[in-house]
Amino acid sequence: MSSMENRKQKNPSGRRNYIYLTSVMAITDFKIKYDNSVLGYFWSLLKPLLMFGTLYLVFSVFIRWEIKNYKLYLLLGIILWNFFSEVTLNSMVLLESKASIIKKIYFPRWIIVIASSLTSLLTLLLNIVVFFIFFIFSGARFRASALFLVVYLAELYILVVGIALLLCALYPKFRDIHHIWEVFVQLGFWATPIVYPISIVPAKYHTLIFLNPVARIIQSSRDALIGPASESLGFTNHIIIICFSACLFVAGLAMFNKLSRSFAEVL
Amino acid sequence: MIALEGVTKIFRLPHDRKATLRQRFVSILQKSTYEELYALRDINLKINDGEFLGIIGKNGAGKSTLLKIIARVLEPTTGKVSVNGNIAPFLELGVGFQWELTVKNNIFFYGALLGMSRREIERRYDWIIDFSGLERFVDTKLKNLSSGMQVRLGFSITVSVESPILLVDEVLAVGDIDFHQKCYNCFENFRKNGRTILFVSHDLKPIEQFCDRVILLENGAIKKQGNPKDILSIYCEKNPKHVVVEAAD
Repeated sequence: MSSMENRKQKNPSGRRNYIYLTSVMAITDFKIKYDNSVLGYFWSLLKPLLMFGTLYLVFSVFIRWEIKNYKLYLLLGIILWNFFSEVTLNSMVLLESKASIIKKIYFPRWIIVIASSLTSLLTLLLNIVVFFIFFIFSGARFRASALFLVVYLAELYILVVGIALLLCALYPKFRDIHHIWEVFVQLGFWATPIVYPISIVPAKYHTLIFLNPVARIIQSSRDALIGPASESLGFTNHIIIICFSACLFVAGLAMFNKLSRSFAEVL
Repeated sequence: MIALEGVTKIFRLPHDRKATLRQRFVSILQKSTYEELYALRDINLKINDGEFLGIIGKNGAGKSTLLKIIARVLEPTTGKVSVNGNIAPFLELGVGFQWELTVKNNIFFYGALLGMSRREIERRYDWIIDFSGLERFVDTKLKNLSSGMQVRLGFSITVSVESPILLVDEVLAVGDIDFHQKCYNCFENFRKNGRTILFVSHDLKPIEQFCDRVILLENGAIKKQGNPKDILSIYCEKNPKHVVVEAAD
């Protein structure tokens, strides 16, 4: 027994323990966030649903867009955008809430960012389930292209984590990027076709709007689920998004690893 | 084995830390000024497997910085640190505690934080509960426990990490006599099992009792090292107050 014990220690399965730590951290955050209960999750749905309700009231009763299934159109946009804003904004608060741990215990710091993004991903998936409940009740028809949603979500996740890593790494040095990013996210919300259809935007601005990869992902997801497919967002479009996201992710991780070495001192 | 070669740690303490874009922009023409604080100066140290090393020195001598550098929490400014084997950091009890979660959840969270795998935690779980004496409170939220219970839980989880190296920093400042005795028994066991222990303490009694070797830090440099008796007598001569305080205890 003792020889086995020794061998284990000489060859510590470090990587695997890090994976375990990441999952424990994500689940712990999730439990705390939703107060360890199912109702806790539903309570957290109130905010996006109220937002949805307000926007729906304004843009479907006061002003009328000519969009089929506007309810679904709006809800999916809000859910995806909320994921983006939640993960990127949280990434900057994270370090302060985990400062005491960072100052005393060593573990690769990226675990904190990844764990928090996984917590948000879990929430996103639950929200998508809620979306599908709306979907069924609104009488929309499933189509085969809906399966592409999985690909789009993967794109979104990698993109968002890349941005989160960058922001988190810079935060201790430039603490006001939190406020700047907050404004930026607010701006992005209205510069992205979430509440309005892309068709009301003059065509010359389309390129500008679709410079934002999140706008492309949201638009494509809606095309896939609700339709009709817009001609501008084809297959190559997603190859570009995937490459862009992957580059951002790698750059973010590299910068994070470099800057995170001094986290224990600057926090 | 742990080896430090020429390790120096300089903390730069800016007179006015610029932590935002705004401050950087406003003071774009000002040169930033700072004080340099040498927390460690050219430390060369080898610690063999199975050694019980005591580290003493006044406040600000660099004891905690030394442990943090070995634990990889801080990076040395210059010099090299090589550590062979996993480290269980005992720098502070319960740093990662989640007050809103139950004792059981906290054991898994804190255990993972200290580098244990799921299987290891499961294997040690009963022992942790037993050692901390919290059988009845497994499903209680941590915030509802007394501070003594929290400390016992933190200690129990940390000692159950089966890493060959342990860093202990003043954790015994808290807790009652009973708990101290438990801790000392634990350390005694560790020593028998051949684990390496680095022990920082202001309480000189355990240093004398347990350590194979003691190093005395002064202003970030190793002033003296050798067997506990000699070093402690040097230290006490220099700080006669310390002896008085100890006696008053």
